[in-house]
Amino acid sequence: MALRELPLRTASAVLRETTRPAVNAARPALARSASSAALHDVEESSFTVSPPADGAAKEFDPVSRSRARRLRNKDLPPSRYQFRPPKYYRGPLHPHQPPPESDPASRVFQPGPFSLPRLEQTYQSTIAADILTLTYQHYPPGYRAPKIGQRLREWTGDSPYYKNRPLRPPRGSDRLRLLTEPRTFRNIPAITKVTVHAMVPEAQNDSANLHVAGMILQAISNVRATTHKARHNVVQWDLREGKYVSATTHMEHEDAQHFVAKLIDVVLPRIKEWKGVPGSSGDGSGNMTFGLTPDQMALFPEIEVNYDAYPPKMIPGCHITIGTDATNNKDARLLLQAVGIPFYGKLND
Amino acid sequence: MNAGHQTTRRLVSSVGQSVCRACRHSLSRNSYATAAAAVQTDDSAFQHVPPVASTEPQASYAVKGGVLLSRPPQITRDLHPFEAAYFLYQRRLNERLALPFTRYFYIKKRSPADLEWKRKLRQRLTPARDIGRYKGYGDEAWNDEVLVGANESDFQWQVQRLVKDAEQNGLEDKSEEGGPVRAGKKVEREPVERPLSRVTEADTKGDLKSLNRLLQRTLYLLVKDKEGHWVFPQDRLDQENLHTAAERILKQSGGINMNTWVVGNVPVGQHQHDFAPESLKASPNPHQLGYKTFFMKARIMAGQPILTENKLGLTDFKWLAKEEVQKAVRKDYWQSVKNMLTER
Repeated sequence: MALRELPLRTASAVLRETTRPAVNAARPALARSASSAALHDVEESSFTVSPPADGAAKEFDPVSRSRARRLRNKDLPPSRYQFRPPKYYRGPLHPHQPPPESDPASRVFQPGPFSLPRLEQTYQSTIAADILTLTYQHYPPGYRAPKIGQRLREWTGDSPYYKNRPLRPPRGSDRLRLLTEPRTFRNIPAITKVTVHAMVPEAQNDSANLHVAGMILQAISNVRATTHKARHNVVQWDLREGKYVSATTHMEHEDAQHFVAKLIDVVLPRIKEWKGVPGSSGDGSGNMTFGLTPDQMALFPEIEVNYDAYPPKMIPGCHITIGTDATNNKDARLLLQAVGIPFYGKLND
Repeated sequence: MNAGHQTTRRLVSSVGQSVCRACRHSLSRNSYATAAAAVQTDDSAFQHVPPVASTEPQASYAVKGGVLLSRPPQITRDLHPFEAAYFLYQRRLNERLALPFTRYFYIKKRSPADLEWKRKLRQRLTPARDIGRYKGYGDEAWNDEVLVGANESDFQWQVQRLVKDAEQNGLEDKSEEGGPVRAGKKVEREPVERPLSRVTEADTKGDLKSLNRLLQRTLYLLVKDKEGHWVFPQDRLDQENLHTAAERILKQSGGINMNTWVVGNVPVGQHQHDFAPESLKASPNPHQLGYKTFFMKARIMAGQPILTENKLGLTDFKWLAKEEVQKAVRKDYWQSVKNMLTER
């Protein structure tokens, strides 16, 4: 058991030792290629066995079987069937290794996915193909895109200190912008993550504000909220260093898809006189942010169902950031528009 | 403008007519991706644009514009039984591993709703309403897999459970068992709105002209032309670009009773039709070998085509899914259009 839990490299290192003749003798039997034919004769596959009769499947009752076994005091051997993974990771050479995260026995196992979101299906069947058609750029046959080499400038001059110096920073900003690759069916922008962030500076005086904010974020996002402290004193914003001021949830995969769908189908259409997401939104690398006010938060169905449980004055507003694969604002906006989020005002391209 | 661009442009100008206007435009465009390029590469070695010999008079093809008018899927697809079983298994695992449901946050203590909740929980043993009778905690929490023949993973069964949960108060099953029925006042509940059927009337009747058929699939508009072939709507280009041609063809074939949107300015596919050699000899223009149709993608939002006043000589239309299109059209036509139709 312990040997099987070890990583492959360690197991092979054990087998390589020549000082242990017993293990060395067992080596050819463990090698996969040597005895695969022999294994076939010994082990029988479940595919070769004919399925049980219909009556056997109907009569099979695992619960009563287990109860009967317990009555007879013949429990299953605990070492194999009641496996508890180690609480602490003790390094790759320790004989007791934790199972992978995807194993339900693991301590960090997260169940899911639970459904195939409707938005995901719409994206696969309709939106992705339309975006590809809309952003298609034709190149004549034989065209090869010019290679993009070093994008940063080097230090040129006579100074001996220029030797081996890091490259000069980009012009105009402190970081390089993302490159936009030519559009193919492999890099159509998609929604990858959603972050909901609620800033509650009132929580510095009364922590109940932060609890309410956390509960609301959890309710609408299905993800545990994390809290943040203020990093600096900012007098204008009434922030004091080291005090808890905000809560965040990060959603991915199924949660993110469900959240965006809920937002588009339920919440945003019910906001009165909502103009849309400001066109100035977007950070240039595919993320779009917009805000909701406290009274708009009450429109989420999860909040509406027990609105009385939240103190009305403590319900926070929030910022919602929708992260996409796109590498510029234009593509990200095109995706969100296709999904159903309107934009207004001057566009930030 | 960088070296690679200049090389390409020079090649294009030397070739002359072999590169279309759109290509030349794309070559002369200075995009973000190429703006930062700095490396000098000898592209002339790689660039291979075949030379074109000019012979007079040139054999050519007529150009036609076509419209691939489609209605996207309206509802989610049916899950494969394995997918459904997997999702149910994961949800039962979740009942076992997630934090317990915070009841008093949602239901007030000692209220009628609380009593009802307790009754229902006693019956199904778990807060989730659509995963069947399953207990997530205790000695038998391991028993989270359904047996052969169980219908808990069936979508319709789960919908029924949710509807039943909304309609009933948990006392109904007791009275059925023959237990003491309370003589208290009967609470009348509003009937819950049932989800609409996933199979429509048009499906059962086999109405190929309805847009309400096959809600899970993409439907494409096929029309019957003068020769009696089923094709996508198409017509000769008339000194116009493909996008406006697509809009015109839609208007001239199906009338103005359709709310449509032509997606983008580029075609999604093409079909080349060669005239038969004997008809080529008899034709007044023997240098025209056939025609090429370029299909523009379009979506229909509402409406239906009306062929009574169409100017393209169409006699009939159908809304078909991909595999039905294959049966309706000719073989060579299918070979050239099949890759622009979506699977779902």
